[in-house]
Amino acid sequence: MTSKANILVVDDEPQIAEMISSALQLYGYAVQTAMDGEQGVARVGAGKFDLAIMDIQMPGMDGITALGEMKKLDPEIEVIIATGHGTMGTAIESLRKGAFDYLHKPFEIKELLKVVERALEKRKFNDITRAIFSTVRPEEQLRVIIDSVTRILKAEESLLVLPGRDGNPYIAVSEGLEDPGAAASRLEMCSRIMDAPEETSKSAVLSENPAGDRRFAGIAGLDKLKSSLFLPLREDNKPVGLIAISRLEDEAYFTEDDLQRARIFASLVGLALRNSSLYRQLQETQGQLIQAEKMSALGQLAGGLAHEINNPLSGILGLTQLVMENTDKAGQNYADLKDIEKAVFRCKKIIVSLLSFSRQEKAHLEPVSLNEVVEETLTLCARQMELQRIKINRQLAPGLPMVNADFQQLMQVFLNLFTNARDAMPEGGELTVSTSLDGAGGRPAVAAAVSDTGGGISPEIAGRLFDPFFTTKAVGKGTGLGLSVCLGIINRHNGGIRAANRPGGGAAFTINLPAL
Amino acid sequence: MNRKALIVDDEELVRNYVRRALAGRGWAVTEAANGAEALRLAVPGAFDAMVCDLKMPDLRGEEVIKRARQACPAMKIVAITGSVSDIKAPLAPGVQADGFLIKPFGIDEIRDLLEKLTRI
Ligand SMILES: Nc1ncnc2c1ncn2[C@@H]1O[C@H](COP(=O)(O)OP(=O)(O)OP(=O)(O)O)[C@@H](O)[C@H]1O
Ligand SMILES: [Mg+2]
Repeated sequence: MTSKANILVVDDEPQIAEMISSALQLYGYAVQTAMDGEQGVARVGAGKFDLAIMDIQMPGMDGITALGEMKKLDPEIEVIIATGHGTMGTAIESLRKGAFDYLHKPFEIKELLKVVERALEKRKFNDITRAIFSTVRPEEQLRVIIDSVTRILKAEESLLVLPGRDGNPYIAVSEGLEDPGAAASRLEMCSRIMDAPEETSKSAVLSENPAGDRRFAGIAGLDKLKSSLFLPLREDNKPVGLIAISRLEDEAYFTEDDLQRARIFASLVGLALRNSSLYRQLQETQGQLIQAEKMSALGQLAGGLAHEINNPLSGILGLTQLVMENTDKAGQNYADLKDIEKAVFRCKKIIVSLLSFSRQEKAHLEPVSLNEVVEETLTLCARQMELQRIKINRQLAPGLPMVNADFQQLMQVFLNLFTNARDAMPEGGELTVSTSLDGAGGRPAVAAAVSDTGGGISPEIAGRLFDPFFTTKAVGKGTGLGLSVCLGIINRHNGGIRAANRPGGGAAFTINLPAL
Repeated sequence: MNRKALIVDDEELVRNYVRRALAGRGWAVTEAANGAEALRLAVPGAFDAMVCDLKMPDLRGEEVIKRARQACPAMKIVAITGSVSDIKAPLAPGVQADGFLIKPFGIDEIRDLLEKLTRI
C-alpha cells in the first residue's frame, strides 16, 4: 500500500497545519510540519519526503519560491499547493513551476486525500519510468525492467521472454532462476501463454498454484511456485513478449493492488519497446499514462481560469462602453475605444475555445480491444472510486472483435463516463461496465455500457445532456463538456452513444463501435 | 419615478460600471460587496431589481438569490457570472432568477434586461 509515504505540511497557520497533519496521520501517513517556507525547505534538505503540501501565502519565503527550492534539493518530491480565494494566478504559476496540483482553501479532507493519493500514484510511475529509461543500452534496459519489476512486486523469480529469430521464445533476462531446470520449466509456461491469443490479449494473466493449473499441465518442477503473474507485452497490438513474475511457496498471493501495479508496469514496458528515442519516450509515457486525468484536470483549470479572467474583462468592457457614451463619435478616441471593445470580445472567444481545446486530441487509429480500454481506464479510476465507496462490476465479454480506434480517445470517453457516474453517486454505489457483441444494426459492432446506481437522468434534461456546456454541477466543478467530448469522439469513430435510465434507477450510457 | 436597484458582486470593478450604466438611465443604485450585506439591504419594497454575482467569498449566489426571493417576492433578480459552467445554477428549482448574464457583458445588455424585467 502507499500509506507509508512521508508527507511534509508547510503552513504558517498552526491550526491548519495541525488539521491537515492529523487527518493524514489518521490515514496512516507519516507527517512532519513546518511553519514557513524556509523551514519547509530546510526539512526537505534534511530528510526524505515523498510529498509536500504547502500554503502559497506565507510570511518570509512564499510557497512558490519554496516550491522551486524544494525541487532543486529533491527533484522527485511532489508538491501540492494550497491556495486562498482569488489566487488562481499563483496557483497556475505553481503548476508551471512543477507543483503536482493545487487545492483551494478551505478544502475538504476527502478532497485532500484524493489529491495526495493521486500525487503518490504519479510518484510510483516516476520511479518505474526513470528506472526503465535511465539506461541507454538496450540490453541494460531489459535488465533494469526485470530488476525493477521483481523489486516492485516483491517477487522471487522473474523473467522476460522474447520471440527468437527462429520463432522460438527464449529467456532474454531473468532474475532468481540460476537453476537451468527451473528456467526451462518457466520458459515452457511462458510459451504456453504466448501461444494462447485469449491470454496475450489480456493486460495481465494470473495463475494461483501453477502446478495445479490446467494451462500448464505436464510441465514438471512447478511445485515451488505459489503464484505466477504474466504480463503480455504488445507492440502495435501484436504480442511481442512476456514478462513472468512468481512468488514462491511461503509468500503471499498477488493482490489486486499488485495486479494494478503490474498492469501499469506492462504498459510502460510496452511503450519502452515501441520507441527507441528514449527521451521523447520518457515524456510521452508519463504523458500518455496520466493524459486522461490531466485532460479533465485541465478542463477544470480552464473553467476556473475563465471565471478569474471574465471578471476583469467585464469591467474593461463596461467601462469602455461608458466612456464611449461620452465621446465624440467622429474622433480618434471613439475609434480607439471601439477597438478595445472588439478586443474584449476576442478575449471572450479565446476563453471559450480554450475550454474546448483542453478537451481535444488528434485521432490515431489502430486496432484496439475495447475490453482493454475499459480495463486501463478502470485502473486509472480504481482508487478514486474506492475512496468514494463505489464498487466496480466488470462484465466484459471475452473474445470480442477489435475496433479501429484511438486508444487514448476511447479512454477519454470512458473516463468521462466514469467521472459522471462517480459524480452521480456521491454517497457511493455501484458502477457496472459491460461489453458485448452487438449485431443489431446488421453489421457486426461492439458495444459497451456504463451504468450507475445514482439518481438517473430527469426527463427535463435528457434532451440536452450532450450539449456543450450543459451541466447541472456546481460552480467550478463541471464544464459541461464531458459528454459533448464523448459524442464528438464516438462520432469520429463512426459509432453511436446513447443515454437511458435503468429500470431499477440510475443512468446507463451505451456506446456502439463498428467491429473490425 | 426613480427605480431602485441593488448590485451584488465582490468585484468592485463590476459594481462600478453596472452602477454607472444604470444610473445613466435614471436608476438609483445601491452596492453590496458580499452576500450577507445584500441580504441585510434587501428588505421588502427597498428595490425593484437585484443584480447578483454567483461566486462570492461568503455566500453562494444561488443562496443569496433564494433568500432574497423569499424576503422580497416582488423584486426582479438577475444572476451574473464569469463562469460558463454556472449556466444551470440560477435556473435551479427554488432559485429561479428572472434573468441571467455571462461576464463579460456590456452596459446595454444589463440596461435592457433590467428595463424589460421591471416594465409594468
Ligand atoms: N451518470 C449520470 N447520472 C446522472 N446525470 C448525469 C450522468 N452523466 C451526466 N449527467 C448529467 O449530464 C450533465 C452533463 O454531463 P457532462 O459530462 O457533459 O458535463 P459535466 O459532467 O457537468 O461537466 P464536465 O465537463 O466536467 O464533465 C451533467 O452535469 C449531469 O447533469
Ligand atoms: Mg462530466
